[in-house]
Amino acid sequence: MSTTHTTSDNGGKAWLWMAILPLSIFLALVWGIGNHSLPWAYSLPWVPSIGIELAFRIDALSAQMLVLITGIGTLVFVYAVGYLDHEPNRGRIFLVLPVFMLAMIGAVTADNIILLFLFWELTSLTSFLLVGFNHKDADVRDSARQALLVTMGGGLALLGGLLLLGQIVDTWSLSGIISQVSAHTSDPRLPWAILLVLLGAFTKSAQFPFHFWLPNAMSAPTPVSAYLHSATMVKLGIYLMARLDPAFNNLLLWETLLIGVGTLTAVWAAVLTLRERDLKRILARSTVSALGTMTLLIGLPSPGSGLALMTFMFAHALYKAPLFMLAGNIDHATGTRVIDRLMGLRRVMPWSAVVAILAGISMAGLPLAFGFVAKDMISIAKEQTDLFISISYALVIVNAITVAVAGVATIRVFWGPLKSPRKKTREVSWTMILPPLIIALVGIEFEFFPHIADPLLLAAAQNVSPDLVVTELSASYEPADIFSALGITMVIGIVLFFAWDRLHQALSKIHSLDFGPEAGYRLLLRGLSVVAAWHTRLIQPGRLDIYLSLTLSALMIMVVFAAWHTEQRFAMDLHWSEHALAWSVASLIITIGATAAALMRQRLAVLMASGLLGYGAAILFLFAGAPDLAFTQFSVETALVVVAAAVLPLYAKAPPLEPLWSNPLKLLLAVSAGIGTFLLLLHMQGLPESRQLADWFATNSLPEAHGRNVVNVIIVDFRALDTLGEIAVVAFSLLAAMPLLQGITWQRRKLPASPMLTMSAKPLYWLMLVGAFWILLRGHNEPGGGFIAGLVAVAASSQLAILLDPSTARRYQFLSPLALALTGVGLALFGGMFGALWGPGFLRHLWAGGLSSVMIFDLGVFLAVWGALMGYIYSLLEVKAGATNKLMESAS
Amino acid sequence: MNLVLIIAVSLSVSAGVWLLLSRDNFRILVGLAILGSAVNLIIFLGGRPGTLIPPVISMDAEILAQGAASPLPQALVLTAIVIGFALLCFGLVLGARLSRAHGHADVTRQHASEPLAGSSDDPYKPKVMD
Repeated sequence: MSTTHTTSDNGGKAWLWMAILPLSIFLALVWGIGNHSLPWAYSLPWVPSIGIELAFRIDALSAQMLVLITGIGTLVFVYAVGYLDHEPNRGRIFLVLPVFMLAMIGAVTADNIILLFLFWELTSLTSFLLVGFNHKDADVRDSARQALLVTMGGGLALLGGLLLLGQIVDTWSLSGIISQVSAHTSDPRLPWAILLVLLGAFTKSAQFPFHFWLPNAMSAPTPVSAYLHSATMVKLGIYLMARLDPAFNNLLLWETLLIGVGTLTAVWAAVLTLRERDLKRILARSTVSALGTMTLLIGLPSPGSGLALMTFMFAHALYKAPLFMLAGNIDHATGTRVIDRLMGLRRVMPWSAVVAILAGISMAGLPLAFGFVAKDMISIAKEQTDLFISISYALVIVNAITVAVAGVATIRVFWGPLKSPRKKTREVSWTMILPPLIIALVGIEFEFFPHIADPLLLAAAQNVSPDLVVTELSASYEPADIFSALGITMVIGIVLFFAWDRLHQALSKIHSLDFGPEAGYRLLLRGLSVVAAWHTRLIQPGRLDIYLSLTLSALMIMVVFAAWHTEQRFAMDLHWSEHALAWSVASLIITIGATAAALMRQRLAVLMASGLLGYGAAILFLFAGAPDLAFTQFSVETALVVVAAAVLPLYAKAPPLEPLWSNPLKLLLAVSAGIGTFLLLLHMQGLPESRQLADWFATNSLPEAHGRNVVNVIIVDFRALDTLGEIAVVAFSLLAAMPLLQGITWQRRKLPASPMLTMSAKPLYWLMLVGAFWILLRGHNEPGGGFIAGLVAVAASSQLAILLDPSTARRYQFLSPLALALTGVGLALFGGMFGALWGPGFLRHLWAGGLSSVMIFDLGVFLAVWGALMGYIYSLLEVKAGATNKLMESAS
Repeated sequence: MNLVLIIAVSLSVSAGVWLLLSRDNFRILVGLAILGSAVNLIIFLGGRPGTLIPPVISMDAEILAQGAASPLPQALVLTAIVIGFALLCFGLVLGARLSRAHGHADVTRQHASEPLAGSSDDPYKPKVMD
C-alpha cells in the first residue's frame, strides 16, 4: 500500500517501514487463502509430558480474524506515523504494536488451550502498555490499570475454565475439546467451565458488567484505540465465543447467558452513548453496544446467526476503525473532540469529510454499504428464531442509536457553519487520511464486489454455525425490503439525531447512572488495598512472640492434619528392663529441668534448669547405647553454662522475668504443643522402625570405610559432606558474632583466684588436650571422634580462661580462635580432596597401611569445633570481666 | 519404659515453647536450647532405643551386632547438638548486644528491624489505590 514513501524530511516517517511487517503477513495470507484450502494446521511439541504443544490451526474463522488483524494493522501502522508525528516517545508504540499484533495472531490461531491463554494474556499486557502510553497523566495510568485488571482478572477465570474443559474432555487441544465436548454434557463441572470461560470472554469484549473499561481505555493514542479497541482485541472475546459456539449451542446456560448479557450490553451501552460529549468516547460506547449485539448473535440458535455475526464483525471493523481515526484527525486539527465545539469541518477538512460520509453510511446501515448487508443478515437471523419480542424492540433501539451516532460523527461535525476552537484549522497529513479512506472504501466496495469477501465469510460462518446452507451473501434490493430494513430504525434514528442534545441533558441529570459497575470496581480495588494492609498487619505485627505463636500454631495444625490421615496406632512400652532405672532417673531429671526452666523467674535459675535438662539427656544417652552422644551432651551443657553465665551480667539492667500466668493464650499453645508431641511420639512408637539405612551403615561401615564406630563413620565418611557444612556453620557463626562482641564495651579487671587452682590450671589444660587428641584418634573404631575431642578441648580452654584470664589463655594457642576454626574447615576440605583426586570421590577417604585421609578430615572437625566455641567463651569471658558484681546482683 | 521418657520429652517441648513465646530474649534463647534438646530426643526416640550396646562393631566381627543401638539417629543428633550449641552461642551474643543497646531485654519493645503496627513509621499503612 503506502510503505514505499519512506523518504521524507521528517525522521518520523521512517517508522513507515514498520508497516511492512503486517502488510507482508496480510499479502501472504491472502495468497494462501486463494491457493490452499483451509484449514491449515501446524504443531510442534513444547511440554510433551503434560500434553502442551505449540499447536496452531487456521480455519476460515481464524483466517477472517487474521485478515482484520493484518489488513487493518497495516493501515493503523501507517496512520500512527502521521498521528504520532510530533510525539517524542513514539518508538515505544511502534515497538509494542507489532508485539500486540503477533499476540493477536497467536491468539486466533492457537489450537492448544494453554497457548491460547498465553497469547490472550499477552494481548492484555500489550494493551496495558499501549493504553498507558501517556503515563505521566494520572488518569491515563488509572485507565491502563483498569483495563489490565479487568481483562487479566477475566483471563484468570478463562484459564480456570479452559483447564476445567481440558480435564472434562481430557485433551488440551481446542479443536479436540470442541468436537468432543458434546459427549460430556452431563458432567457437573461443565457449567462452571462455561461460566469461567464466558467470564474471560465477557471481560475481554467489554460485556456488561465489565463494559466500563473500554470507554476509559480511550485515553490511549487514537491509532491504538482504532486498532485494539474497535477492530481487533475487543473482538477476541467474540472470537472465542464464536469458536466455542458449535460445542455449546445446545446448552441452555450458554444460550441464555449470551443472549441475556449481549442484549443488556447492547442496550445499556447504547443508552450511555447519549451521555457522552467526547467523540471518541461516543464511538467507544457504540463499540461496546456493537460487541453486545455480536454476543447476542452468537447466542441465537438459528443457522443464519453465524453468517450475520461474521458479516457484522467485518462491517463493524471496516466502519469503526475509520471513524476512530477520524476522531483522531479532528483532535489533531482542532485540539478537541468535544462535539459541542465542532461544526462544519468539511470546509477545512474535505478529505476527512469524505471518509466520514463513507464510514457513516456503512455504520447507519444505508444501502450501497457493507453495513447494510450486515443489517440485512441480522434481521434474517432474527426472523429464523423465535425471539422474545422485547429483545427485538431492544435491537431496534440499539440500531436507531447507532444511526444517530453515525449522524453525529459525520453530519453534525462536518456539516453546517464552521465552528472550531482553533482559528487555523487545517486538513491533516496524507498518512492520516489515506488509511481511514482505504478502510472505508473497502467497506463500500465489498458490497459491490461480493466475490472477494463472500467465500471467506461464508466459510467462517460455517465454522460457527455448521448447519448453515446459504451459499451467497448479498442484500436484497427490492424496494419493499429496503423499506422494511431501513424503515422504523431509520426514522427513530433520525429523531434521536435531532434530539441528541435534549436527550443528552435529560440523561445527564439522571445521576444514578453514574453509579454503574465501575463504582463496584473502584470499591473492590479500594477494599483490596485496605484488606491487604490489614491482613499484612495481622500476620506481621512486628512482634516476635506473635510471629512465633503463628508459626507454631501453623506447625501444629499441620501435625494434627497429618495425624488425622493416618491410622492411629498408639503403643506404650511399659515393661521393666535392665536400663529402666537409669531411664527413669534421666526422665525425672529432664522433667525437673524443663519444669524449673519454665517456672523460675531468675535468669540464672532458668539457665541452671536448662543445664539440668541437658545433663538428664546425657544420662539417657549413656544408658541407651549412645556413649558418643552422652559425651557430646555433657561437654556442650558444661560449655553452655559457662557461655551463658558470661552473658548474664549484660542483662543486669533488664527487669525480672514475667510470671508464668501472664498470657493464658501462650500457655495454651505451649500445653497443646506438649500434648501434640506426646501423641506424636506414642504414634511413632506404634509404627515399625525403618531399619533400611541403619542396616546399610551397619553392614558397610567396616568393609568400605574401615571403621568400627559406625556413628563416627557416618559423620566423617558416608555423610561427610553434611559434616563439612555443619562445621562451616559453626565456624562462620563465630565470624558473624565477632562484630557484635566488639560492639559491647567492658572494663578488664583481673579476678582474684585461689593459687592452688591457678597453679593446676596449666597442667590440667595440657592433660585435657592430650586426652582430646586421644579421643580424636580412637574415634574411628571406638566411641570418640572430632566433635567430642573438640568439645573436650573447649573445656580445657574454658578452665584456663576462667582460672587465669582470657588474655593469658590466648597465649597458649598457636592461632587465634577464629583462625583455628577456619583452619579446621580448610583441613576438612583438604582431607576430602584426596578421595576426589585418587579415590572413589570427594570426601570419600583413602586408606593405606592403617593411615587415612579420614584422619585429616576428623582433625579439621576437631579444630573447627574447638576454635569456634573457644572463640565465644574467650570473648564472653572478657565481657564478663568488668561486670562481676552485676552478675551477683542478677543471680540473687 | 519409653513412656516415661515420652512424657519427659513432651514436657520439655511444652517448656521450650512456653519460654520461646516469652518477651524476654534470654528466656527465648533458653527456650530455644530446651526445644533443641527435646527435638534431639525425639529424633533419638525414632531409633527405638532400648539397648545398652553402642553401635560399635566388636573386634571379632565384620558387621554391627543385631542387638546394638541404631547408629543413624545418633549420627544425626551428634552433629545437631554441636550445631545447636553454636546457634545458641550466636543467639546469646546477639541477645546480650540488643539488651545492652536497649537497656532492657523485652523483644516486643525492640523494633530496630521492623516498626510496630500502627506506629508513625509503620511501612504497612494502607495506601489506597483509586
